Order: sequence, then structure tokens, then C-alpha cells
Amino acid sequence: MTSAVDVGASVGTTVEPAPVHGRQIALVDLLDRLLGTGVVLAGDVVISLAGVDLVQVRLHALITTIRADMVEPR
Amino acid sequence: MTETGRYLYAIARGLDPQALADVPALAGGRLEVVRHRGLEAVVSTVDLEEYGEEGLRRNLEDLAWLEEVARAHDTVVQAAATHAPTAPLRLATICLDDDGVRERLDSWHDALEEALDRVEGRREWSVKVFARSRPAPQPAVSQPATGGAAYLQRKKAENQAREADESSAAVIADEVHERLAARSVAGRRLAPQDPRLTGRQERMLHNGAYLVEVAEGDAFAALVGELASAHPEVTVECHGPWPPYSFATLEQQ
Repeated sequence: MTSAVDVGASVGTTVEPAPVHGRQIALVDLLDRLLGTGVVLAGDVVISLAGVDLVQVRLHALITTIRADMVEPR
Repeated sequence: MTETGRYLYAIARGLDPQALADVPALAGGRLEVVRHRGLEAVVSTVDLEEYGEEGLRRNLEDLAWLEEVARAHDTVVQAAATHAPTAPLRLATICLDDDGVRERLDSWHDALEEALDRVEGRREWSVKVFARSRPAPQPAVSQPATGGAAYLQRKKAENQAREADESSAAVIADEVHERLAARSVAGRRLAPQDPRLTGRQERMLHNGAYLVEVAEGDAFAALVGELASAHPEVTVECHGPWPPYSFATLEQQ
């Protein structure tokens, strides 16, 4: 049955435990966490960490890069 | 003379600095531990030209820079979290000197203790649910659709089918979250990620983070597998275990 194979492959947990336990975090997930959550601690004098601003910066940077990639599909 | 600051990666409790001896710091620096009132801040020295307010504003727009710093930050956090309860800090948290670091440890002491109590012996798992793209509707064999009325009828049926799909997928996402949250210490729904960032066509219905006891990790992953098998109409992805990034947040003061 193709559907069963498909489901297993999409989960990974049931078929291949190893990759699921890989510690490498996708960049998007990492930035989601490093910029969006985590301990909220602003630095001394140097940075005013307004979380929203950083998230916007992050999205802007990523989307700009991805769009640049999309302009040249080949 | 270049001005320098102290970059804070994480705050831990009972961390032996020796455990970080072989872990690389940002910008070729050396990791150090600033200890105060029973807590250890993991820090290294950075150049304020690059990490000061102006430098950051410029560099955060540079994806290559952002990725390098995020990866380095994560490597340090992962290493610390392997050895002691660890509260990761946000990217680019910088103090001018060690006195500044100690001041932070002082003013956030109770909240940090609470955060460390919450994450001790636990790891974060990420579970995402994606809508499956609907297969293209089969044209009716016996009734070649001709004329405006037939066309509208077919469109209406397609729209109804799509709406039904989307609402049932949302129900599945809710169920997956409830089941996983019940099996974990805490669960959070993060904002679904933009398809432009995930690089996937399927819509993300659920972006969940779960705090799970270390010993429960395999059981948690197995439950994700069960839920995925029970719902072939969506794609479920599970990643982890990670340091407890989504669960060390301090209350705003």
C-alpha cells in the first residue's frame, strides 16, 4: 500500500529513528527560538532588544534571501 | 583600541566550566563562565564594532552572519544543556563587562531559578503538522462538463471539498496538539512558519514545541508516530530532542 509507506516516510519517527534524533536544528526553527522566545534579557547599554523588531529583521533578511534565490530558478 | 563586550549564550546551574573546554566560541574567542549566586553565565568576548547596536542592526540583515552566529550560539547552548540545567539566551545578548553580567544574574535571579527548575532534566521536541495538498479533482467521466451552469456547479463542489478538507485538517492539528501536550510537561503552539521560510508548498497547520522528560523522549516520539499513522490526511514532522529553547522564557519585568 503506497499510502502506508508514504505516512511512515513523512513521520520518520516510526521508520528511521536516527535522523529524528539528529541535533542539527533547521535554521528557521533555530531563529524562531533564538529571536522569538528564550530568556528575555536585554544587554547593558548596548542593545535594546525589542523582540518584535528583531523578528521583523529576521524575516526580512530571510525573505530577501529566499526571494533573491527565486529570481534565478535555475 | 577596540571596544569589547561580553556575549551571553546561556545561564546554567551547576555547570563545570571544564565541560565547555573544547566548545568553540564566537569569533575565535574562548568560552568563560561568570559565576554569581549559584548561577553560571556562559560568555565570551566579542568586538562591539560587530556586536554593538549599530553593528547588529547591520549584521542581522545579513543572513550568512545571522546563520553563523545562530549556529555558534546553538552549539554552546547544546553543550551546556548536556551537562547542567540551562536557560538559553536570545541571540545577541551582550553586556559591557562581567560586572554587567553579574548585575543581570542578580536582578533576574529568582526568575532564572524558576526557569531552570522548569527545564531541568527535560528537552524540547518540535512537532509540526502540514496540510497535504489535495489531489487534482477527477473530471466526471460520464458527464462532460459543458456550459456555465455545469462549470459553476463543479467549482462549487470543489470549493466545498477544499473547505471541508481545511477544517478537518485544523481539527486534526488541534487533536495532535492536545494528545502531545497531555504526554509532555508543557506544550506551546508557536506561530506557523511562512511557506517562503520552510520552502514547502504545504500549509503549516501546527508548529508545536513540547517540553518532555529526557527519559520520556522515545515514548513521546512513538506517540507522534501513532498520531501520524492515524491521520494520513496530514503530514506530521517530529524533531528533537533539543535544548529547552521555548520553555526558558522569563516573565517580562
